[in-house]
Amino acid sequence: MSRRSFKVVFFMGKGGVGKTTCAAAFALGMSIRKRTLVVSLDPAHNLGDVFGMRLSDEPKRITDNLYAIEVDFEKMISKHLKSLTDKVKDIYGYLRVLNLDRYIDVLRHSPGIEEYATLDKMMEILKSNTKSGKYDVIVFDTPPTGLTLRIMALPSISAIWVEKLMKLREAILDRRRIIEEVTGEKIKAVVKGKEFEMPSDKEEDPIYKELIRMKKEIDFINSIIKDPKVSTIVLVVNPEVLPIFEAKRALEFLSKLGMNVRYVIVNKVFAISETTSLPKELITKLSREREALQLINNYFKDQVVIKIPLLYEEPKGLDKLTTFSRYLSKLINDAVV
Amino acid sequence: MKGKILKKTLRKVLSLAGNLLRAKSVEYIYVELRELENVFTLIVLGSFIGLPSPPTTISLRLLPYMAREIIISTSVSSRLSDMLAEMAGLFEVT
Repeated sequence: MSRRSFKVVFFMGKGGVGKTTCAAAFALGMSIRKRTLVVSLDPAHNLGDVFGMRLSDEPKRITDNLYAIEVDFEKMISKHLKSLTDKVKDIYGYLRVLNLDRYIDVLRHSPGIEEYATLDKMMEILKSNTKSGKYDVIVFDTPPTGLTLRIMALPSISAIWVEKLMKLREAILDRRRIIEEVTGEKIKAVVKGKEFEMPSDKEEDPIYKELIRMKKEIDFINSIIKDPKVSTIVLVVNPEVLPIFEAKRALEFLSKLGMNVRYVIVNKVFAISETTSLPKELITKLSREREALQLINNYFKDQVVIKIPLLYEEPKGLDKLTTFSRYLSKLINDAVV
Repeated sequence: MKGKILKKTLRKVLSLAGNLLRAKSVEYIYVELRELENVFTLIVLGSFIGLPSPPTTISLRLLPYMAREIIISTSVSSRLSDMLAEMAGLFEVT
């Protein structure tokens, strides 16, 4: 199965705007026609609460065609760091570098580890589905905007660094090759009394090979998140000024990264037309809402805006989510095509 | 007999001179290589000394392969005060 034969939908927005509810309802609506997986990447999970089920790090069956995961962040960061420290142990075994486990706890607090571990998890899910073709649609319920934007920017930033490092490494390997050609022998280095021949070929150099591996991973994730035929980004806002400002900034940032935001969901709209009998506080609230909706019209001219009214009851549980998903029919129908 | 010894000696001298010239010709490239390796280490592991660095995972993933580069950086940093003398020696400035 090629990666283009499945779709990826990201739900983004400020904390508390209803991303998880929208993601869950969309996934439930999609699952009527497509095999769907919904993944919560938010460290403060509530996907399980919305479905009314206990979820874990492994896909749990919600309905016939719908599976859900709540990513275990502790486990994810430990796994990410374990693969790194295992490699250090393998290579430095001869140097008797012992008790590396002691440092794992320190490394988990390194800046950027959480973002990279989240990206790693996303990559793992996408790679696995590229191979297995198990799901037609993968829905990501993301952490609040700031963290999500850092995660989304990571492949682009990493691509710049990896490219520069590869060029520098090529210059190093070039010099080594010249020296070898002139002297007729490999450059040798002594590390802790042990002599090593220094590689001069790209195929032999472990650093260059690791850079190539990273480049492939970055290209893979970029080819998915930047392909509008594969990925759809949905911004969720409330009809309030601050979430809209934040969504606008997110839109600009994502555009710079080459990612298209196609939908904006305005969740919890009062939508009351008759205001004469309402208390003063509510009239003020409605007036602010109208201003906010006007802002949405101004800022998101190129996006499809979907308005969802404020419901009397919280949309929790499969029945209520199914009703809620009707508001997302435009998004669901477009994603099915 | 004398001719044979002379021929052997001459061959030795020429080989020695050849090696010397070869060593001399790559001397600059050796220094350039060492500095490039040093720059590579500084870029990858610069965060440890407060320099801007790549995303942490890139550094951590390359770290296991960089034993030699770290040794070079350490030796370069320990001789930093003497670098001018080394450069002068390299370019035969007396």
